[in-house]
Amino acid sequence: MFKNDERYWDINLLNKWFAISSIIFLAATVWVFVDDNDDEFKDYQREFRKMQVQVAQEKLEQQAKEVSLEKEAYENALAVAQTEFDNRSDELSELKNQLSDLNDKHYNQNMKFQSQKASVEALKYLVEADNAHGGHGPSNRDEYYSALNKLDILRLEREDTEIQITKIESKIKEIKSIVKDKQDDLDKYTKQFTLTKNKLGKLDRSRMTMANKLGDIVRDLPILDFLDPYYKVNQIVVADVKYDVNFAAVPVVDRCTSCHLGIDNPDFSDAPQPYTTHPNLDLYITSKSPHPMNNFGCTSCHGGRSRGTSFVSSSHTPNTPEDKARWKKEHNWKVNHHWLTPMLPTRYTEASCFKCHSNTSDLAGGEKINLGLTLIDQAGCNGCHHNADWPTLAKSGPNLKRINEKLTEDWVAKWVKNPRHFRYNTRMPSIFEQPNQESEEVTEYNNVEIAGITKYLFEGKDSSPNANQVKYLGDPINGEKLFNAVGCMGCHVNEKNPENAPHIDNYQNLTKVHGPNLVGIGSKVSAEWLYEWLMNPQAYMPDTKMPNLRLEPQQAKDITSYLIQDKNQEFDNSPSHKYDKSVLDELTVNWLKKSNPEKFALSKASKMSEEDKLNFIGEKSIRHYGCFGCHHIDGFDDAKPIGVEITEEGSKPVGKFDFGLFHDIEHTVHAWIENKLRTPRIYDRGKESNHLDLLKMPNFYFSEEEIEAITTAVLAFNSNKVNENLKAHNNDPDLYKKGHRLVKQYNCQGCHLIENRGGQLVEHIGPPEYGPPNLNSEGRKANPDWLLSFFNNPSIIRPNLQVKMPSFHQINDEDWDAIIAYFQHIDSENINYRGIHQFDIKSNEFAAGAKLHEIGQCNSCHFYGEEFPTGDAPTWAPNLALTKERLNAGWVTEWLKNPQQIMPGTKMPAPYVPDSEILSMDGAESDWGSALVALDGDTMAMLDGLRDYLWNIKGKTNIDDIIKAYFDENGYDFDSDGGSDYGDDEDDWGDDEDDDW
Amino acid sequence: MLETFKHTVDYLSSPTISFSILTVITPILFPPTDWFDKINRKLGFHLLWTKTGLIAAMAAITFFFVVGYMDQNFNVILTKADNFPIVLMVYSIYFFTWVAMHKAYINDERLEKGLKPLEYNDPDDKVLVWPDLVYIEFIALILFTVFLVVWSILVPAPLEEPANPAATPNPSKAPWYFLGLQEMLVYYDPWIAGIVLPIFCVVGLMAIPYMDINKKGDGYYSFKERRVGIFIFMYGWIVLWLFLIVLGTFFRGPNWNFYGPFEYWDTHKVVALNSVNLSEYFWVKLLGKGLPENILLREFLGFLTVGGYLFILPFILAKTILKDMYEAYGPTRFVSLMIFGLVMLSLPLKMYLRWVVNLKYFISIPEYFFNI
Repeated sequence: MFKNDERYWDINLLNKWFAISSIIFLAATVWVFVDDNDDEFKDYQREFRKMQVQVAQEKLEQQAKEVSLEKEAYENALAVAQTEFDNRSDELSELKNQLSDLNDKHYNQNMKFQSQKASVEALKYLVEADNAHGGHGPSNRDEYYSALNKLDILRLEREDTEIQITKIESKIKEIKSIVKDKQDDLDKYTKQFTLTKNKLGKLDRSRMTMANKLGDIVRDLPILDFLDPYYKVNQIVVADVKYDVNFAAVPVVDRCTSCHLGIDNPDFSDAPQPYTTHPNLDLYITSKSPHPMNNFGCTSCHGGRSRGTSFVSSSHTPNTPEDKARWKKEHNWKVNHHWLTPMLPTRYTEASCFKCHSNTSDLAGGEKINLGLTLIDQAGCNGCHHNADWPTLAKSGPNLKRINEKLTEDWVAKWVKNPRHFRYNTRMPSIFEQPNQESEEVTEYNNVEIAGITKYLFEGKDSSPNANQVKYLGDPINGEKLFNAVGCMGCHVNEKNPENAPHIDNYQNLTKVHGPNLVGIGSKVSAEWLYEWLMNPQAYMPDTKMPNLRLEPQQAKDITSYLIQDKNQEFDNSPSHKYDKSVLDELTVNWLKKSNPEKFALSKASKMSEEDKLNFIGEKSIRHYGCFGCHHIDGFDDAKPIGVEITEEGSKPVGKFDFGLFHDIEHTVHAWIENKLRTPRIYDRGKESNHLDLLKMPNFYFSEEEIEAITTAVLAFNSNKVNENLKAHNNDPDLYKKGHRLVKQYNCQGCHLIENRGGQLVEHIGPPEYGPPNLNSEGRKANPDWLLSFFNNPSIIRPNLQVKMPSFHQINDEDWDAIIAYFQHIDSENINYRGIHQFDIKSNEFAAGAKLHEIGQCNSCHFYGEEFPTGDAPTWAPNLALTKERLNAGWVTEWLKNPQQIMPGTKMPAPYVPDSEILSMDGAESDWGSALVALDGDTMAMLDGLRDYLWNIKGKTNIDDIIKAYFDENGYDFDSDGGSDYGDDEDDWGDDEDDDW
Repeated sequence: MLETFKHTVDYLSSPTISFSILTVITPILFPPTDWFDKINRKLGFHLLWTKTGLIAAMAAITFFFVVGYMDQNFNVILTKADNFPIVLMVYSIYFFTWVAMHKAYINDERLEKGLKPLEYNDPDDKVLVWPDLVYIEFIALILFTVFLVVWSILVPAPLEEPANPAATPNPSKAPWYFLGLQEMLVYYDPWIAGIVLPIFCVVGLMAIPYMDINKKGDGYYSFKERRVGIFIFMYGWIVLWLFLIVLGTFFRGPNWNFYGPFEYWDTHKVVALNSVNLSEYFWVKLLGKGLPENILLREFLGFLTVGGYLFILPFILAKTILKDMYEAYGPTRFVSLMIFGLVMLSLPLKMYLRWVVNLKYFISIPEYFFNI
């Protein structure tokens, strides 16, 4: 062997080093395996397994308690059966012996039979071959037949034995069944208990056999765990929701359920995160819900990194600073910088509804996004920020083309400078006096701009004298009553005290201030203008949202004098708007310089008069600040919006937002939007910008709740698209969307309850039956032809109401059609055309209906054409002669069956319908009439008959004149007139209305 | 106190100052002539290669990183998984330089006393590859594998989001080993900084054995016997390559702007970039005219400068101050050496011209994408 003694290194030392480094290397390798398999989600799964064991154990104990009641009885029965069985054990063993012998015999016989069968088949072939080709050799025909005979004999022998076997088997079965039946009974009784026990046996290692225990450990070992591990990543592949990886879209793979293990299991509703149940299983997650987990996944609503399997890698986003601090401590949470779509904080989850329900804000439970989208419409965000997915329907501010008839220049200048100075809760945002305009230089520029804007708006228009003329004034006390009663408060408040003004934290309160707060109106408009406006708003502004209340001149005068008496003294007394002429020159030159050389700008400016300059600055400023986004202004009819497009604002990467120079705002998209809404100029802090380069989004002074709602809506405007088949609006007609937007635009929900939202006016009126009707089931209820004619020319339906449906002449038939389509859609009403309801007045049902009608005394409340009800005015109800025109026949039966269900709080009682028991009593025929008796308690047939009877009522359909005449004569004073039957639940009525109606 | 330290470091690390300091210090650290050697001894720089020097320098580097780790701004950059190799690099540059210089100094002393270098005394003047060297290398291999494994466990791979042309990272950085090249791009056109200079680096390194005629210092550590060569190499390697990597890693932030290590990476930072071409200096600033239409006429000064620098300067040098060298090396070696040397020197020269006189390009022909 080769031997080399030549050494310059101590080989033993090297050996030691080698040994040490190998051990370290082994340790590192083990570490690799441990690190690779020690996933965070496995800890959660182990913990959840313990919880499952506990839940199962509790269930088991509970079930053990339940079965313990009768278990003993079953067990005793089993014991008795067992004794009987034991007594017959000799018999049983004898039978078993016989069976064994017979089976042996059968085996032998079967062998013989099979062997013979094979021979027969072979012979059969030979015979058939001979038949076909013939004569080549000896015929096997005889041999074949004798073999066939023998086969039959063997078969019969075998069958004999089989019969004997069956007999003995059934005897054995009979003996065994003594015990088995009882055992089955016991098993059936304890089935649930046994199931839970088995489940527990698979979960709880301590209950397993040694072999199963070993198996349970081995299945989760590294490498082997590819087969069937217990602890594994759970994932849902959501084919219809795509994740955009640039140039390709891949289905989302949601692994959230790897840790959120109890999300679909109601047993864990009290468990802590991440094991807890989803709070709304009726709407989400379960296969019965409209949003099953397998179709929608988790991240399609919540966002985040769907493939993450740890707390940090799944990009959770804290909802509150407290959450953030706790997460940092408990989970070492940090922002995943490289994931551009982090999870939505829980307060903004509703933003995700919009990606599938993109045509509507009317989502059951989606209060925040509904408020947000409505606010976006009302605040006029789209006037400056184009949004393809939620386009604006109309300008949100008043038309200013005839401003000279309504306002004075002095008032307008002061208003533009600070609208809140005049009206503390106006929707008009403040463009000026904002934080980035505080320097003296900018303030001076702004003063010039305000003067210019005012000048421009009034340019070339007569400013009429603004004196309050007595001939337009009436009785302010009566005016106040009218203001409160006819429905003004469906859209307006007249509230001096900011403390009492509606705080907009929900949609209901938003409908209260759909129109302006009318405080201080006496400082704003003249009596003449206000009177004309009340009489016919469209005469002044054809596209106004204000409807025509069809007031009598005297009523309009009364309301005018009530409203006009309130003046804002402080505003009136504040000095007129002033500006510095030298600054006007400077600003004119600055603007001219933008598109001209300075020399030219200077010479051009020097040729302009002061008025020219003001006009010039006015036009530039209106364009600069985008006033035309909300107002119609002469010369700006085709102007393009000035703001950033927000169609996909919600999915803009956070790096594309300018957070300004300060670092005190969290770098998230939602924090940016929140702060922008709260203080629109906040990102100018510390910047040295030129006056015309300052941020210019005006301040709307939104409440925190409004900010949250609008942020939700803006986050909803994003590029996260889903496949068409997930989109809810595939089932919805376009008209529905338009109708729904129109309902919001004209604030129908200020007066009416639609889709469980709105109807706040009733708060000012008292019991719901004296307020505007709720419009539940309106789509199924109203005949669309009649509804259209009613919208265009409202008549009195409920004679006992003082509040009245105004005329919206500004809504054309096409839009009314959309509104009707909206009503029909929310009631799943798909019929566009209906035949005339046919009925036979000679039928038995009709006669029964007539009888019910007679018993029901409908005429005590209802009008029959011009025939007055027998009861008093407060209980008056719709004209039944109108029914056939106004209502759908199917709905009427439904209504008659249970009016309270359709319109909670209605005074309409369900008509009394006798049941078959009553109708079969002696003398029923004389009490109820033969027609009713013949129907024998068929409720629907009786109600159909009643409906048909109503259809047959004839008379005048429009009875406005006689009702008006009645109230003109008797007044609306129900308290003194109505007496006892009117009850004391009513207090908000006008007390001594003695004029109109 | 700490703040003052941080501000000082921030100030000193700006490329102009730190590069200048390194340029001045390198000849003192690796003195190519006796004069520099005297300064070295006077300032005590030679102590850096003693064992105390090792401990002190390691402590100083560690102190810097500890302070950096505790600093809110530097922490963000220092703890990036991408930047970990640079921290290791800073330690290892010094350590391996120290090993070589430490041994070289000992040998230099022995040689001065007329003794043989240390390596000469190894047993029978040979080391066995098998089994000793191979065995040692194998153990080193295992330990290094352990190190890589542990590193990969403790520091997750710095993966980023799917590439998105609409959302590019700012700053966009090359892998750490190319950051020196990326830094050169600030001063030279891509075709020079990205192609010509790297090729010259590689070819130049390959050419060294063929151009080296110094027979001393072979097979043992020594500084004095080849101090000019070591100085040039060290300047190229540490200042022009490794320092630019450190600069690119730690000091280049959003928009490739310079940020001191303790400075916040503010995306809004704006630095005036208004450098001027040589042709503009000549025609516009000096003569007060417009630029000539003719490209060759316009850029004639640039062509003269570059041509003179690369092709005439070597001849002048050969006739004057490097006459001895020319004679010793012969024309081929001398010219090659000059070309490689001058190209290497062109980088610091251009950097200084940029900083001092705002020079953009010597030759600027954007019409044909040709800029030098």
